[in-house]
Amino acid sequence: MSNFPWLTTIIFLPLLASAAIPFIPDPDGKGRPIRWYALVVGLIDFTLMVYAFCTQYDFGNPGLQLVESYNWIPQIGLKWSVGADGISMPLILMTGFITTLATLAAWPVTFKSRLFYFLILAMYGGQIAVFAAQDMLVFFLVWELELIPVYLLLAIWGGYKRQYAATKFILYTALSSLFILVAGLAMAFYGDTVTFDMRELGLKDYSLGFEMLVYAGLLISYGVKLPIVPLHTWLPDAHGEATAPVHMLLAGILLKMGGYALIRMNVEMLPAAHAKFAPALVILGVVNIIYAALTSYAQRNLKRKIAYSSISHMGFVLIGISTFTDLGISGAVLQMVSHGLIGASLFFLVGATYDRTHTLVLEEMGGVAQKMPKIFAMFTACSLASLALPGMSGFVAELMVFVGFATSDAYSLPFRIIVVILAAIGVILTPIYLLSMLREIFYGPENKELTSHEALVDAEPREIFIIACLLIPIIGIGLYPKILTQIYDATTVKLTSRIRESVPTLVQRDHPNPVANLPFQAATVDQAPRLGQS
Amino acid sequence: MLAVKADGRIVLMDNSTETIAHSMDAQIMEPLYQYAWLIPVLPLATAMVIGLGLISFNQVTNQLRRANAIFVIAGLAAAMAYSLAILWSQYHGHAPYLQTFEWASAGTFHLTMGFTIDHLSALMLTIVTTVALLVMIYTDGYMAHDPGYVRFYAYLSLFSSSMLGLVVSINLVQIYVFWELVGMCSYLLVGFWFDRKSAADAAQKAFVTNRVGDFGLLLGILGLFWATGSFDFQTIGDRLQQLVSSGALSSGVAILLAILVFLGPVAKSAQFPLHVWLPDAMEGPTPISALIHAATMVAAGVFLIARMFPVFSGMPEVMNVIAWTGAFTAFLGASIAITQNDIKKGLAYSTISQLGYMVMAMGVGAYSAGLFHLMTHAYFKAMLFLGSGSVIHGMEGVVGHDPVLAQDMRLMGGLRKYMPLTSLTFLVGCLAISGIPPFAGFWSKDEILGSVFASNPAMWMVGWLTAGITAFYMFRMYFSTFEGSFRGHQTDVRQQLKAAAGEPELAMAFGPGAMDPKELDQDHHHSDSPHESPLTMTLPLLILAVPSLLIGLVGTPFNNYFEAFIHPAGDAIAEVAEVAHEFDWTEFLVMGGSSIGIALIGITLASLMYLQRKLDPGAIAAKIKPLYEFSLHKWYIDDLYNTVFVQGCRRLARQVLEVDYNVVDGVVNLTGFVTMISGEGLKYFESGRVQFYALIVFLAVLGFVIISA
Repeated sequence: MSNFPWLTTIIFLPLLASAAIPFIPDPDGKGRPIRWYALVVGLIDFTLMVYAFCTQYDFGNPGLQLVESYNWIPQIGLKWSVGADGISMPLILMTGFITTLATLAAWPVTFKSRLFYFLILAMYGGQIAVFAAQDMLVFFLVWELELIPVYLLLAIWGGYKRQYAATKFILYTALSSLFILVAGLAMAFYGDTVTFDMRELGLKDYSLGFEMLVYAGLLISYGVKLPIVPLHTWLPDAHGEATAPVHMLLAGILLKMGGYALIRMNVEMLPAAHAKFAPALVILGVVNIIYAALTSYAQRNLKRKIAYSSISHMGFVLIGISTFTDLGISGAVLQMVSHGLIGASLFFLVGATYDRTHTLVLEEMGGVAQKMPKIFAMFTACSLASLALPGMSGFVAELMVFVGFATSDAYSLPFRIIVVILAAIGVILTPIYLLSMLREIFYGPENKELTSHEALVDAEPREIFIIACLLIPIIGIGLYPKILTQIYDATTVKLTSRIRESVPTLVQRDHPNPVANLPFQAATVDQAPRLGQS
Repeated sequence: MLAVKADGRIVLMDNSTETIAHSMDAQIMEPLYQYAWLIPVLPLATAMVIGLGLISFNQVTNQLRRANAIFVIAGLAAAMAYSLAILWSQYHGHAPYLQTFEWASAGTFHLTMGFTIDHLSALMLTIVTTVALLVMIYTDGYMAHDPGYVRFYAYLSLFSSSMLGLVVSINLVQIYVFWELVGMCSYLLVGFWFDRKSAADAAQKAFVTNRVGDFGLLLGILGLFWATGSFDFQTIGDRLQQLVSSGALSSGVAILLAILVFLGPVAKSAQFPLHVWLPDAMEGPTPISALIHAATMVAAGVFLIARMFPVFSGMPEVMNVIAWTGAFTAFLGASIAITQNDIKKGLAYSTISQLGYMVMAMGVGAYSAGLFHLMTHAYFKAMLFLGSGSVIHGMEGVVGHDPVLAQDMRLMGGLRKYMPLTSLTFLVGCLAISGIPPFAGFWSKDEILGSVFASNPAMWMVGWLTAGITAFYMFRMYFSTFEGSFRGHQTDVRQQLKAAAGEPELAMAFGPGAMDPKELDQDHHHSDSPHESPLTMTLPLLILAVPSLLIGLVGTPFNNYFEAFIHPAGDAIAEVAEVAHEFDWTEFLVMGGSSIGIALIGITLASLMYLQRKLDPGAIAAKIKPLYEFSLHKWYIDDLYNTVFVQGCRRLARQVLEVDYNVVDGVVNLTGFVTMISGEGLKYFESGRVQFYALIVFLAVLGFVIISA
């Protein structure tokens, strides 16, 4: 079985399956068979993924695995080349997981259900292809292809301002992905050999000026996706108008593509430029955290509020990838997975609340907890996860980024102090806006005005199931983070040592002492702590 | 190895006997320690079972009220028995136990977690489990009619689990984890009656204020890790000292880091300037106020200072900051408590004040005195709070389920006749907190004041004065609640109170023990006089009266078992033994006598004003109006924070959002407009857009390669 094209199968299964959707009989026109079909396809694909990674993937191996490479259009050197390493593998798994749950979350969608599920399945394949692609051209193609379903899902099933939001989204991302193409081609044609293979591109010896230019271009395109303030304004609009399942995909997976691509290309392929850009990334990360937290606090629209909170959380990814430490980069990857789960759960709950209250304006809500205590409980749990409560995954990720950055030897001490203090202010701001939100939606005397014309029914089992599915990994990772970190640790460690090699000042300090920058020279790791009192 | 002889003297045992005793001990005791993780896990398991039940079988679970309560109580009782066994074993000299596992790792970084059992954690486990158990029994009576009864037990159990996890934590990160978890439980429990606006506000205020402290704690932890490469208390302490003495780290930085860590306890133990959340947290049901906001969670700050003692004790500047923070808070709390009319708010400020004593004790290096007061305070303050709950419960029968009326002492009075057990236990609590021997509070407070005097007489002055104020406000509380005649029917006072609270008289708010709208309907079943609470409520009160009365005797200065058991890690045993022998009767009599003296003055003053009514409190208040108003308005600290931080933060957030809309997004929309125009223009190129796109890309790539090649 080891030669079986696992990744290709996983990518194409949903795509091929989506082609069959027009032929599924749908007698009553409500799309029941179609949604079951989509769900089953999603599940099968997810199962395949899990099976493939469990049996074919070696966690100790830091390199690419499950590699497949076929000539596609040899004339232009285009190869269908896919693979997975520690950074893409957790994200592929998360994609399968969240997309399947989003399919389940889309249960109430009856409007044009054939098209809807067709697009969802198309997105499924496209997203995985983005994380698996190992060829620059293939990456660009799937990156672009995956935009179309999102655009349509926004433009057809969105809210009142859906056209504006969808147009803004497509303009933003299409324009920015132009930079990927330009940068990718430039890298491919640089030097003597022409290649699109990412590994080979990463091994090319670019001049620093060229690297910086390419890096800047890629940073813009991925900065839009992640998003990095000030390239973020498409996101509140898109998130504000999307329906819950699309919302889950946007927050859970699309944003992670930006983070993933930043690590895969900017950090891994252009380490010399990364060393120059990293301080800027850190500053942008801090701006993300504080700026978005403040805007989220002032925002009166529930969906936009959560959308800004996503931006705020992505700031930690930016800081994490710029730490040049194992811990920081590991934390950045963990933050992506963690926010994927937490963001998806919060957006799903926002959708569930909206289905009942039919308003997103916080002033019109309030006091709905009596009627929907279960939604209240789940909303509270997910908000606490989002504000990085220990015991949940967000805390571990943020802690790793914090410790990683605080002990990073790539920056001067005053810079580190300022950044850590500013980022920690986010720790205060996050509960302010999230708990205020909970208070305004749920707390207070029963809202007679709202209950008089809306039937506020409590969560149904399907909704509880979805949230439970998301909360179990969130809490699992929070209680014992090694569950997740050990499966990608080898890759991030190798990545860190590779990027450290490109920073001359760090190389001399490297090895044998990993925490050489610490004043305490003998410190290596926490040995068995001693205790007083005997 | 330490041993306590039958006559109570502390002696050093011979080394060889120790080894033998030890190895025998190890064989018998090891399983006891290996499974000690069960102590926090048992309550967690019960909480999870009930939580799952509530989510999946809500109706059924909610109907099984008593069954759930018994399940939770049984879980905690098991944990308590276990804790007692461990305390026993530790008392008999078992070596500290440590078990770790690797929790997180990345490359060469490894972070371990686990649990540790030593004297301090054994003591804390016992305090937490015993108080929690009694509070849980009490809850059955107090929350009997509440629809959230089962949920409340689940939260209580979850809290107990987090708190127990906190006290067995082995390093700073693990402390931080449980620190936040107890904060979350506090948030959930303060906001338990989520339909009350004030509860919702209070819950959020508690969480956010604590996050401000955690901000400092987190920075401190990060900084200490940066400096020492460790999260372990002792290692941090040793290495920090080494670094400072070798000059690798300036002492200013070390002090700063230690103070940042201290910010955590400042918030959690409600020390000035982050004390503002605790009085508001009284919006939670009273059992919570007793368990979380008096006995256990708020004491976690003091516990952390104790754990961080190896770090703090080496830096006199830090110790000074700690001591003065405590001293000032002790005075601040007491000065506000004297004018409070809400019985729970009064107790809350008294808690702030007492926590100030503990922190002050820690600051002057009186490690065991601080923890001794933590222990005695846990018992007598839990009893006082539960007593106030019992009073409120009784008052509700008369004034209805309205916290504005049921908790106000101006409507109470003469309750001793109706609630004899409650009043008796409350009196014991008042005597204990006022420091009258032989009640528990006397011994611990006296020990603190003695140590403070030795290190700084000015600070002792503050503590001593505060002791007098404490006695005054506690007996003011006791006399206005239990003595005199019942004032619950004075309609003018009621209307006045309602008006002050901004509610019309008949607007029924929800209150403890009554969330059932049917019960809120009318005053039908209201009786004319308050009634004594049921046995499930009075029994815990009576049980708590025992330690409030007697537990101080384990730490008498002439025979201090407590100090022999609990002392800073570094101190040699011989030293402790020596101190115990050094006991000086004259000094004790002078110190003890002066604190009893001022307490008696306070009590006498209170009885003149509130019992015999020879002095009119109103007239005195009018005479010193500015001071009275200052105290009544809590030194205007809340108002100040509200204007500066709350409003300021809101304004800033709004401004940032404006910028986001108008500037950042404005630019984008403008570009969109320009693109549209140019796109229209492009239509007239007959070559079409596709070619143009390709051309641009091609040129750009060419440019790139040429420029940089």
